[in-house]
Amino acid sequence: MNAYRRIVRTLAVPGLMAATLAAAPARAVDVTLAISSEPSTLDPQKTFDGGERRVNDNVYDTLLQRNLKGELAPSLATALPERINDTTWRFKLRQGVKFHNGEAFNADAVVHSVTRIFDPEYKSTATGDLTGIKGAQKVDDFTVDVMTTRLDTLLPARMYWLKIVPVNASKQADFAQKPVGTGPYRFVEWQRGSHVLLEKNPDYWGEKPQVDRARYRFVAEAGTALSGLIAGEFDFMENLPPDFVKRAPKVARRKGLEHSFSIISTISGPTKDVRVRQALNYAVDKDALAESLFEGFAAPARGQMIGDQSFGYNKSLQAWPYDPAKAKALLKEAGAEGVTVEFVVPSSRWPKTREMGEAIAGYWQAVGIKPDLKIVEFSQYLQRLRDPAVRPNVIYASHNNALLEAERTVQNFYRSKSKGAASSSVEDPVMDEIIAKAENEPDNARRQALYDQIMKRGYDEAMFLYLLNTEDIFGLSKRVTWEPRLDNKVFLAEMKVN
Amino acid sequence: MNELSWFVVRRLFQGLVVVLTVTAIVFVVTRLIGDPVAIMLPLDATEAQRETLRRALGLDQPVYLQFIDFLRSLFALDFGESYWQHRPNIDIIRERLPATFQLVGAGMLLAVVLALPLGTVAAMYPGRLPDRITSALSLVGLSVPLFWLGLILIYVFAAQLRILPSSGPGTFVHLVLPAVTLALPSAGRLAMLVRSSLIDELNAPYVKTAVAKGLPLWRILGVHTYVNAAVPTLTMIGWEVTRSLAGHTIIVETVFAWPGLGLAAIQAIQREDLLLLQAIVFVVALMVVVINLALDLVYKFIDPRISV
Repeated sequence: MNAYRRIVRTLAVPGLMAATLAAAPARAVDVTLAISSEPSTLDPQKTFDGGERRVNDNVYDTLLQRNLKGELAPSLATALPERINDTTWRFKLRQGVKFHNGEAFNADAVVHSVTRIFDPEYKSTATGDLTGIKGAQKVDDFTVDVMTTRLDTLLPARMYWLKIVPVNASKQADFAQKPVGTGPYRFVEWQRGSHVLLEKNPDYWGEKPQVDRARYRFVAEAGTALSGLIAGEFDFMENLPPDFVKRAPKVARRKGLEHSFSIISTISGPTKDVRVRQALNYAVDKDALAESLFEGFAAPARGQMIGDQSFGYNKSLQAWPYDPAKAKALLKEAGAEGVTVEFVVPSSRWPKTREMGEAIAGYWQAVGIKPDLKIVEFSQYLQRLRDPAVRPNVIYASHNNALLEAERTVQNFYRSKSKGAASSSVEDPVMDEIIAKAENEPDNARRQALYDQIMKRGYDEAMFLYLLNTEDIFGLSKRVTWEPRLDNKVFLAEMKVN
Repeated sequence: MNELSWFVVRRLFQGLVVVLTVTAIVFVVTRLIGDPVAIMLPLDATEAQRETLRRALGLDQPVYLQFIDFLRSLFALDFGESYWQHRPNIDIIRERLPATFQLVGAGMLLAVVLALPLGTVAAMYPGRLPDRITSALSLVGLSVPLFWLGLILIYVFAAQLRILPSSGPGTFVHLVLPAVTLALPSAGRLAMLVRSSLIDELNAPYVKTAVAKGLPLWRILGVHTYVNAAVPTLTMIGWEVTRSLAGHTIIVETVFAWPGLGLAAIQAIQREDLLLLQAIVFVVALMVVVINLALDLVYKFIDPRISV
């Protein structure tokens, strides 16, 4: 009996191994990803669109790329750019790269990509992260200069947000339906309403990925996507709600870029007094909010609206402590007990906005503030945010700095009379001076020191109500192994399938 | 022109007024509550960026000029270009309509097929066990929220039993769950109505006479009572189709990622795609008017006493 078993084993093991080896290359690895919205277009330069980016991040390359640590690394450029004078950056390009349609990748393609996205006729709404770029110039076939309007230390980071398109194909009328890039995946089909299909680019210049074909399905309702994941129809879903985490076959999560906060007016009303602003912060139990509203998939923000992924993050700041007694004492000191604070919150748009607003108002009430909570439609909210004449004492917001550079956050929210969202809530000449210095500082160590100062001052002055840093949560099927990136991009090339 | 033609012409004219009124209301309301420019640009866009986009979309014009422009293009059957998809709205609608027709067609057919026997059985034994079971089922059907029903069906049949796909378009089996979801609440409402109108008819003197004369039940039901109960039932079916087109499909299509007009409507609202939303409302209002007109004509054939 034993001998018989041994014979079977001896025969079976190599046989099975041979069979597996023979079968492995033949079986294509297909994955299906449920994304929350259908791309509005597959033109990678036209608009700011989550669905489009999920697909095109795999079809197109950029000159620079962020590695898993979040550092900028070469991609279509062979090295990080060299700044040859205050406003010019020189990129050396990779040679021998072809677009999926056979067009050559070279300096012309790069110049064309820059020119195209800024062409006023083209009306791109996706230039937000590229502000300050003046143009690009060909030096030779594989060298390009990118010019900025002023000294811009962020230019390399910006180039991660500029996909390189081919000169000829991008002029065709169907380019928005049939993307042509240099990326590891090429476009197969887009059946509107149903799916987009990509397949591995056999001529990819870089490392060959494992996944052969990827199907993107558009499922807005998280409950539906989760059921599809459980059923094995999907291998991936984004924006998995925290209360669904326990039911997902497999979960991938990481500290995200999204920071909820509120802008407190420092120039008018009761919040003009820094003690009132501090009291508003002390009154709110951030840990409880993270636990009860996000099931622990969030953490109190560390006194700023960016995380440690970003350049300019101040490591020494801590989350604002919860201390209602201190809040009461500060209010008493400021003679602001029972003062009315208008608090405007949008009814939707970011996760749990309404619940956050209600909870915060409750905490304020507990320390003796009369919150005048106004939960409004998003468009009304935007009007209150942007028109200085109707700006409330406190207004809720959420910030997602995908550039991973504090400069963007600071320009929008910390600078006096900023052109962005915070116009009119801040007037602080001291702060402005530091910001101006930081913007014009080419040396990274000195730049970091300046941002440390800015973040510290914003914290000490309680310019904002610092709330939560939420996690990015993804659902995966059992067979897929994948780690979320700190910039929230989803690259098929980083997916492994068993 | 005979009486019937006049009727059709009059009704078409009334319908046109309804469609234009609905479109005008949507036009004004969307412009009062929303600013597509604000939604389309990131939170920290500059005023200059917003102004450029506003001008590009023609939203810098006064509302009445925008409306005149809109009406003018409507008569040319030009629904404008979608802000969201950067292509003609008519293309989007043409792409989405078949999916909605499939869903509403299958759903309503199923609702009628379920409701007729249930309502009949209930009406034949009023107050007895079959009636109570049917009424309870109908009550559950008509009061269950569509959204919840859809998710439960997906969870049971796709995630647990794995016999049906969870979502999306594709083959006939993809249609099953969304159609059932759309059908059940309608079937509940319809069954209740079939029951009550049949009970009315079954108690009418002519039925008593027929029973006394010894006519078989199938003949009484089939030839007399069904025909007489048909007018309220058809009204209700028309109403259900209208409700499905103008409301329920939005929920069902969202839950099942079913690429129809309802899903397009909710996407247009989320992205403040005003022109697309207007175009969809126009098309749906037009369909509602046509359905009502068709029903009026059908009544006329069923019951010649109905004056036009």
